Amino acid sequence: MKRLVILCLACSLVCCWAASAPAVTEGQQKVITAASKNLVEIGLSYSGDKIFFFGVNPAPGSDVVIRLTAEKEETVKLSVKGKVGPFWMTVKQYEVTGSPFIYKIHTNKPLSQIISPETAKELELGYDAVRHKMKMHLVRGEAAPEDEGIVWQGLLKIKEQANLYNIVEDPKRLEIAEGQLFKHYFRFPPTATEGRYQVESFCFHKGELVGYGKDIIEIKKIGLENWLTQTSQNSPVFFGIMAVVIALGTGLLVGVIFGKGGHH
Amino acid sequence: MEIYLPIAGMSINFFLILGVGGLVGFLSGLFGVGGGFLLTPLMMMIGIPPAVAAASDSNQIVAAASSGAFAHWRLGNVDFKMGLIILAGGITGGTIGVQFVKVLRAMGNFEFVMKVVYVLMLGLVGGAMFIESWRTIRRSRRAGAEAVAETSTGGGGLTRLFNKLPLKMHFHRSGLHTSAIFPFAIGTTVGIMAALLGVGGGFIMVPAMIYIIGMPTIAAIGTDLFQIVLTSANVTLQQAIVNHTVDLLLALILLGGSSIGAQFGAVAGKRLKGEQIRILLAIIVLALTVKLFLDLVLTPSDLVSLAPAKGGGH
Repeated sequence: MKRLVILCLACSLVCCWAASAPAVTEGQQKVITAASKNLVEIGLSYSGDKIFFFGVNPAPGSDVVIRLTAEKEETVKLSVKGKVGPFWMTVKQYEVTGSPFIYKIHTNKPLSQIISPETAKELELGYDAVRHKMKMHLVRGEAAPEDEGIVWQGLLKIKEQANLYNIVEDPKRLEIAEGQLFKHYFRFPPTATEGRYQVESFCFHKGELVGYGKDIIEIKKIGLENWLTQTSQNSPVFFGIMAVVIALGTGLLVGVIFGKGGHH
Repeated sequence: MEIYLPIAGMSINFFLILGVGGLVGFLSGLFGVGGGFLLTPLMMMIGIPPAVAAASDSNQIVAAASSGAFAHWRLGNVDFKMGLIILAGGITGGTIGVQFVKVLRAMGNFEFVMKVVYVLMLGLVGGAMFIESWRTIRRSRRAGAEAVAETSTGGGGLTRLFNKLPLKMHFHRSGLHTSAIFPFAIGTTVGIMAALLGVGGGFIMVPAMIYIIGMPTIAAIGTDLFQIVLTSANVTLQQAIVNHTVDLLLALILLGGSSIGAQFGAVAGKRLKGEQIRILLAIIVLALTVKLFLDLVLTPSDLVSLAPAKGGGH
């Protein structure tokens, strides 16, 4: 009986410890936030979107770090080019798991001045934390020791060029009015595809997390865009036949409109 | 005006695509050739993923060739028997080609192979055309107004060789009695290229039909258009099923641009001499070859690139 009690106690202790392990717990105050919209629709003229966010700092004067990520992580395959004879071609490929599809950070001052590197790693804030978390494994070709750095830098460049990754440490970009009301915006690039995205607000006071809040933004295709994507993926045979029939019909119509249309 | 292409998964200026379509349409109207071999590289240059560019181009060719094919059919210029044999080859080749594309995409070297094939093919065609038209221009200058006699029996040796092959058939419309093996083989080759490059293949098919098989020019053009419609239709269907890379929206915008461009091209074409048109086309083709060749040998600005995920698109 005594042993059972001790076991139970030990179990509950472990549970408590496990529950408190993630740094974001009920210990902090909830940051109350609002977004100018929570649903982004991809229509014919979609070219990205800009969403404004507002929030109330629970501890006036504390620093704010906002992170935008996609809800699910992605697995990407990266091709690394090398020289074969006189030509540049893909010589090896890496599969990268655990890297976020989108990763944007806004802070009111440099991240290193707000939190310690340990906290940053624990909360996955900053590029170092992203790099630390992602795993890469070789799927084709021969590995080299410097590949890890090359692949990471390559991925970062691709993502930054597509406006999917960036870190802005600027008080003008993340305004905090009277130390309390903060506002900023995220630009969702056109490459941001369908899915659920989360915008998390972290408030730090002297390097300690004092507040946390989360908003969900959903992006989805609508109308014709949605129908074309769904059909091409789910009924490819029908989609193919449709593409051919429409092309034939349009081609003959154009021929009729412009006379005998002898070109090809 | 931005438009979002659902399969390419990108937002791009509507008028840029219409303009590219229009430019290629103008050139194809001017030169009387299919624009497929120019369209795919141009689309890649404006940022369309190569596999989507090739597949959507095939879709566009179905439309562009169908009006011409219909016109030739009404004029009785289509040798259906010959067309069907080439088509059987084309379908075989197209189906093989699409599987090639799938494997190459998975290996991450689709773009590389595509560019190598383009460089070889465009270099060959552009070079041959340049030399031929340059000679014609020089000869016509020397001969003054004297008309240049056309070599009507070109490739006589090859024609005779293919005549010796088995599986002989009579082709009524072309007035030929020749083996079915060569038309099938050339159909297969062009079918593979159609899938790999998103081209109709007319610029290889027509000379082969005229000089090697020995068909009359007008029947060769009519028959070629007829088989292009069906070969490209097959490639479009296969790409949609295997690679999910046909962007119908992209294809329709390109078609709009090329139909308009072709009308202007045809008008401009009437003001130029045949050899002048050919040398102009040769220069364009050779310039494109050089550009693609440099892509292959110059150190790329980005060594790391995204490989397409399974199932295409993003």
